[in-house]
Amino acid sequence: MSTVSTRSPASTDPDSAPEGGAPQRTGRRRTVRDKQWPAYVFLSPWMIGAGVLTLAPMAVSLYLSFTDYNLFDPPEWVGLRNYTEMFTEDPRYWRSVGTTLLYVVVAVPLKLAFALGVAMLLKNLGRGRSFYRSAFYAPSLLGASMSIALVWKALFNDGGSVPEALGWIGIDTGGWVGNTDLAVFAVVLLTVWQFGAPMVIFLAGLQQISPDLYEAAALDGAGRWRQFVSITVPMLSPVVFFNLVLETIQSFQVFTPAFAISGGDGGPADSTNFYTLYLYERGFTASHMGYASAMAWMLLIAIAVITAILFRTSRSWVFYADEEGGR
Amino acid sequence: MNLAVKRRLPHVAAALGLLVLLYPLAWLLATSLKPADEVLTSLDLWPGKLEWSNYTTALEGVSGISVGRLLGNTVLIATGAVIGNVLSCSLAAYAFARLRFRMRGVMFGFMVATLMLPHHVVLIPQYIVFNQLGMVDTYWPLILPKFLATEAFFVFLIVQFMRGLPRELEESARIDGCGPFRTYWSITLPLSRPALITTAIFTFIWTWNDFFTQMIYLFAPEKFTITLALRSFVDTSSMSAYGPMFAMSVISVLPIVLFFFVFQRYLVQGMATSGLKG
Amino acid sequence: MPEPPIGRRRHPSRRSVLAAAGAGLGTALAASLTACSSASGGESRGVTLTIAWWGNDDRAERTQRALRLFEKEHPGVTVQASNSDFGSYMQKLATQAAGGGIPDLAQLDYRQISQYAGGGALLPLDSAVRDKRIRTADIDTDLLRTGTFGGKQYALPMGRGITGFAYDTKMFKKAGLRTPRPDWTWQEWAEANRRIAALGLKSPDGRPVTGANDGGVNEDVFETWLRSRGGKLYASQTRLGFSEDDLTEFWTLCDDLRRSGATAEPKDTVQAVSIETSPMGRGLAASDYTWDAPFPGYTDLLGDQVRFCPCPTTDGRQGSYFKPSMLLGIGANTRHPEEAVQLADFLTNDPRAGAILGFTRSTPPNKATARRVAKTLEGSELQIYRYAQDMEKYGLDAPPAAPPRGDVAIQIAFKRQYQRIAYDLASPRDAAREFIDEAERELRS
Repeated sequence: MSTVSTRSPASTDPDSAPEGGAPQRTGRRRTVRDKQWPAYVFLSPWMIGAGVLTLAPMAVSLYLSFTDYNLFDPPEWVGLRNYTEMFTEDPRYWRSVGTTLLYVVVAVPLKLAFALGVAMLLKNLGRGRSFYRSAFYAPSLLGASMSIALVWKALFNDGGSVPEALGWIGIDTGGWVGNTDLAVFAVVLLTVWQFGAPMVIFLAGLQQISPDLYEAAALDGAGRWRQFVSITVPMLSPVVFFNLVLETIQSFQVFTPAFAISGGDGGPADSTNFYTLYLYERGFTASHMGYASAMAWMLLIAIAVITAILFRTSRSWVFYADEEGGR
Repeated sequence: MNLAVKRRLPHVAAALGLLVLLYPLAWLLATSLKPADEVLTSLDLWPGKLEWSNYTTALEGVSGISVGRLLGNTVLIATGAVIGNVLSCSLAAYAFARLRFRMRGVMFGFMVATLMLPHHVVLIPQYIVFNQLGMVDTYWPLILPKFLATEAFFVFLIVQFMRGLPRELEESARIDGCGPFRTYWSITLPLSRPALITTAIFTFIWTWNDFFTQMIYLFAPEKFTITLALRSFVDTSSMSAYGPMFAMSVISVLPIVLFFFVFQRYLVQGMATSGLKG
Repeated sequence: MPEPPIGRRRHPSRRSVLAAAGAGLGTALAASLTACSSASGGESRGVTLTIAWWGNDDRAERTQRALRLFEKEHPGVTVQASNSDFGSYMQKLATQAAGGGIPDLAQLDYRQISQYAGGGALLPLDSAVRDKRIRTADIDTDLLRTGTFGGKQYALPMGRGITGFAYDTKMFKKAGLRTPRPDWTWQEWAEANRRIAALGLKSPDGRPVTGANDGGVNEDVFETWLRSRGGKLYASQTRLGFSEDDLTEFWTLCDDLRRSGATAEPKDTVQAVSIETSPMGRGLAASDYTWDAPFPGYTDLLGDQVRFCPCPTTDGRQGSYFKPSMLLGIGANTRHPEEAVQLADFLTNDPRAGAILGFTRSTPPNKATARRVAKTLEGSELQIYRYAQDMEKYGLDAPPAAPPRGDVAIQIAFKRQYQRIAYDLASPRDAAREFIDEAERELRS
């Protein structure tokens, strides 16, 4: 059981950071020799679920990705054809990749910045904090329902509040929804608007930073900004990282907001045709489930690679308090 | 005076930010009171005339199923999902966070990987499973997966939380002769309450808003949820009723807003408090 | 909060697990993809039939009433009904078809027939039609044929619809235009759009009023135009019935009209998903291509000055045709084919059912029922009923066979490719070429 003994510097093991130090390692080796069956009892619901509802369906989709499957007739083995078609013959595939990347690159930082900014603001509020917290979370309660999509369209349309407000400060954008360059940003703003979940996680992280640190810094004459840079940012980096990874994964799979705003077709002229929207169109609307499955597996691999890269870079900027404290 | 201004500043900023942020919600609310011809065309926030009949129409429900029934169904599913997620995800998380077993790394990696697969492609295989089990058109496909810890996000969240808990208490419990189950139930679980509350709140909200799964698995209108019924209001291939749809969508979010306002203080407080204080 | 532990070095093991699982479980479950079990429905005592459709509340209410009547006359049979919106319905039915069978009876779109019949999801009805368990004597033969695939009857029309233009008579009058007759031409239509735009009228939000919604995105408009010139959309189940030149010509016509301001702007066209959101519904256009059944929605929204007129012709030849607004099929896996057939016949032919259902799915397919129910019509509903009669008298070509399997994807591609023209991303010629490529690939697979 090699996973227990080897540890990389920026540990990626499920049981890494909090424990740290050497003494526990001996303790751990002892536990390895302990009975294993209780663990499997704890895991049994998950194992059943993972096997029947996740692993098996995933395996089926992997199999289907090598077939021509129209949902009605038995799947027909075609080898790598779906993959080659995707890479070499389908310009829409690459356009959807581009649109999705644009979305991820814009939406994730924006949403996290928003969530962090509001969390910082809320942290400094004394009275009324819980009211504000709830109120800021309110948009996230709504999901991307049909009515929210309609409201969004109304706000971003010609003469809608957003273009009007931008007009006051001299920016003339016209309506966003019917504009092939701007429609994608209307979708971005819808997701950014619902920043509640990362905000809550940031708030939790901020509260975990010991006030002593700030007091000490204040005594040393550090200003607000200095405190933010040298205390908040490093202390919060694990939480930032956690949010970053989850938001990135979720953004690659963005579906509902774009589906709702574009009415399901990723329009106008494919400008909001995100990866999963295209996957959905191929799989269910056009009944090419084999192709859609191949797309899903490419997405899975891409997300895994990008997540791995994030972890790679995290070593240089994520600061683990536990490791420091354990020393 | 300067100090007073400084103290007020965050409040002012928060209030202003909120104003912008809640504007779309105000729009939603206002639209739910607009007459039919204004719903989609009017560019004014304020309705030309308050159309309360949107609400009376919405309250009649859909296809003869009352709004009360629809809300009841939704609460039932959401509650089942909450119980399922809290139980099963905390069980799995405890194993991942605290116990040693073969293939742990592999399983954990797999669990995280399931976050990355678009769910549309596993939809049909999953449907086949539930159909074989005779569970289509019951609430099982919506609730059972939660009892089987299929939502990796929460397993992940609770694992992360449990790993932050000090081990001393558990160690001493073990020295006192507590087995893993006793330890889990009477020590780790209570300490993890904050993470569990977070799980519960998110599960409730997300289940409430999850239109897709409900749409696929439910057939009989009397089993429909409020989210599902909301869709029936607008059928683009026939005449639509946008006003009542907006009214119903306001009605449908009220319960989660209420739920959230009651429990939200546990949410943040919970996620922040480290084990001993919780 | 600690870091999420997804490690770089985990990946090899994760992949190997999945690979192993793929080999083992994959084949087992894939086998069951094709092995179908019957649709759901608890069987306590007697027979439970399931039936599903898409549509609004009025249709639901009327259908439910008809079903209750059927239950009353067939003791022991319970009918479990379900309805949803069009989009959800399509998705759900496809999942059911792939995952174990559709309901005992299902409402189908014309575009679904080839796919569902060809994919073995529907029960052939020929024997039931032959021994008159399903009566078809009162149904128009051309209309009935729209429910066939490969020479077999798989579905029954539930209603008969026809297209035309909803138009604002006041604006037409203001522009000095005559009431469009059944033989008006596409040139006259184009001219009418230009003249209305030239009036310089303003919409409620202060923008210019155009002649019509831009029909370039709509495959149905193209089909009408094509048929009026003697062409057709599909030559067979695997071949298109028109050339790149045909499509280029059509799209150039649409493109020119839009550029000159005679038809709606692209940003308004793309947002048209219902009457309320259509350029006409928003006061931005004087007319809109539409079906007869939703037409009363225009008068409800805009007033009685809105009337229904025929599609333009090419030298008097009409391209529009009587189309099944929706069809009814029986699931291939039904456990109660006998009762399902009875219910299908009941909904199609029973006079009382016909009276209850009325025009909720367009003109009833049963001609006797249609005549009877028509006597109760008034206002805009009566107008479209008379319109259909007039068109029948004028003479229309028979409807084409149900569109091939790939048609759903092709229809979407049509819209998308024209949007590329409208947003200056492609010329009509280029878009037409790409569309034909795409469509042919779709038809081959």
